[in-house]
Amino acid sequence: MALRGLELEVPRGSVVGLLGPNGAGKTTTLKAIMGLVRPDRGRITLFGSQGSDPRARARVGFLPEQPYFELYLTPRKILRYYGRLSGMSEERIKARSAHLLNLVGLGEVGDLSMEKFSKGMLQRVGLAQALLAEPELLILDEPSTGLDPLGKIEVRDLLNDLRRSGVTVLLSSHQLSEIEEICDRVAVISDGRNVASGALDELLRSRDEFLVGLAAPPPVGKEPALPPPAAWTGDRTGVVVPREALRTVLRCLLDAGLEVERVGPRRMSLEEFFLERVGRTGGEGK
Amino acid sequence: MKKFASDLFTVAWGVVQDALHRKVFYAVLAFTVILILLVPMLPSAEVGVQLDLAREAALGLVSIMAFVLAVILASTILPGEMGKRTIYNTLSRPVSRKRYFLGKYLGILAVLAASLLVSYGVVLALVGVKFGVFSPGLAKALLAIFLEGAVLAAVAMLASVNLSPVVCVLLTGLFYVVCHVKGDFLYRTMTDPAHPAVLRGLAGIFYYLLPNLERLNINETVAHGERVFRVGAPELLLLLGLAAAFSAVFFSLGAFLLERKDL
Repeated sequence: MALRGLELEVPRGSVVGLLGPNGAGKTTTLKAIMGLVRPDRGRITLFGSQGSDPRARARVGFLPEQPYFELYLTPRKILRYYGRLSGMSEERIKARSAHLLNLVGLGEVGDLSMEKFSKGMLQRVGLAQALLAEPELLILDEPSTGLDPLGKIEVRDLLNDLRRSGVTVLLSSHQLSEIEEICDRVAVISDGRNVASGALDELLRSRDEFLVGLAAPPPVGKEPALPPPAAWTGDRTGVVVPREALRTVLRCLLDAGLEVERVGPRRMSLEEFFLERVGRTGGEGK
Repeated sequence: MKKFASDLFTVAWGVVQDALHRKVFYAVLAFTVILILLVPMLPSAEVGVQLDLAREAALGLVSIMAFVLAVILASTILPGEMGKRTIYNTLSRPVSRKRYFLGKYLGILAVLAASLLVSYGVVLALVGVKFGVFSPGLAKALLAIFLEGAVLAAVAMLASVNLSPVVCVLLTGLFYVVCHVKGDFLYRTMTDPAHPAVLRGLAGIFYYLLPNLERLNINETVAHGERVFRVGAPELLLLLGLAAAFSAVFFSLGAFLLERKDL
């Protein structure tokens, strides 16, 4: 069983990242939403309709993991094929194809057969086909796979633009930095279950640790001794403190004549959060 | 309705384009045309009933080509799309699996019809040039070949939902053989009291369940100028009904299985 008791909600207008180790069920989740696999139990709705209803998919764009196409076709022809199946008029297909091929950096090769395309170029064609019918919901399975660093930045910018234009995005990715930069919300899946989900800011705000920010770092060699396990940050402009040691550390810093600028819950990195929830072993081949 | 027709046409046209990019399509077609052109060189064609023999041999070759094309296309298209995962891109559109399956089937039938038209032209030209006879009546045999190809394509597509192309080809080949011998072999097995009851029962089930494809083989009758048995419109309509009914059954089973398959 790939998924068990998974609950996932994607609010309209949000960008939700799906995280999880290999084999956790991310792709299965996305395929189930698209009606490509059928859950034994449970309910999947798209804009209020059953996910398996083809009409519900009219408002969705989907990029499968490592998309593949009939390579003898050109990108423009493949977009024409998918455009027709999406019920678009010939004029609209033509206009959207030209725009999207330029957007994904394939404007120059839009009329060449895809036989000699690299993995990254096929990924770009995949993105173009997902965006073709101007979807309200975009579902992307590993959108940056195969792309060079520049391509990854372009995808990031593209997703940010889409977010600004009100498109709802659900994406799975192994690139934690990508998720952290683009997504408003995340859902962490492990072993087919949703182990954490919510707004990224909420999730990454540690409930047990605080960050004490200083106006200026203490002079070298003049740092006050901190009670363990409190620790200086790398640039020595802050101290990470467990909740129970906060009072003691604050007193210690003030007694040493240091100016405390702010105190707040420490924001974890997504990587820390991910490892905390999934564990270092919760991955491969599960 | 417009979207339904447009979807079917788009998917079917994709199959035609796909076939036109397959070397096997041209190889089978070219091989058949060459063999048809060599028919007059058969030793038996030199004596007495050359025209009838030539027509019969040519129709036999066209039958083989049609069945090979129908089975290869129908056995490989769906597994190919599932294996390469191009099916995800199509089925993530507002297109139902049934519609997609029907589009693929119609595309195969279009390729089959086009190949038969080419073959028809070649056979007509051969008979015309070699014997000075115009034989438009051969179209009746070609229609029957098309109908049998349609049944075989439906069977192969049904099998291809869950099986590999090689297994599909083998199964459809077995289906073809059994359905051609059922009128004789299965009937005798079913009615011979010397056979065990279980065997007779099994033979009976297959006899009544499977179509008698031999009914669709009118090559000999047509090649010999319908001198013994005339193939008129009622007979052709009956064949059409038989093929349509069995194709519909196998197609529906395939669509049902695809609908429930996890991709």
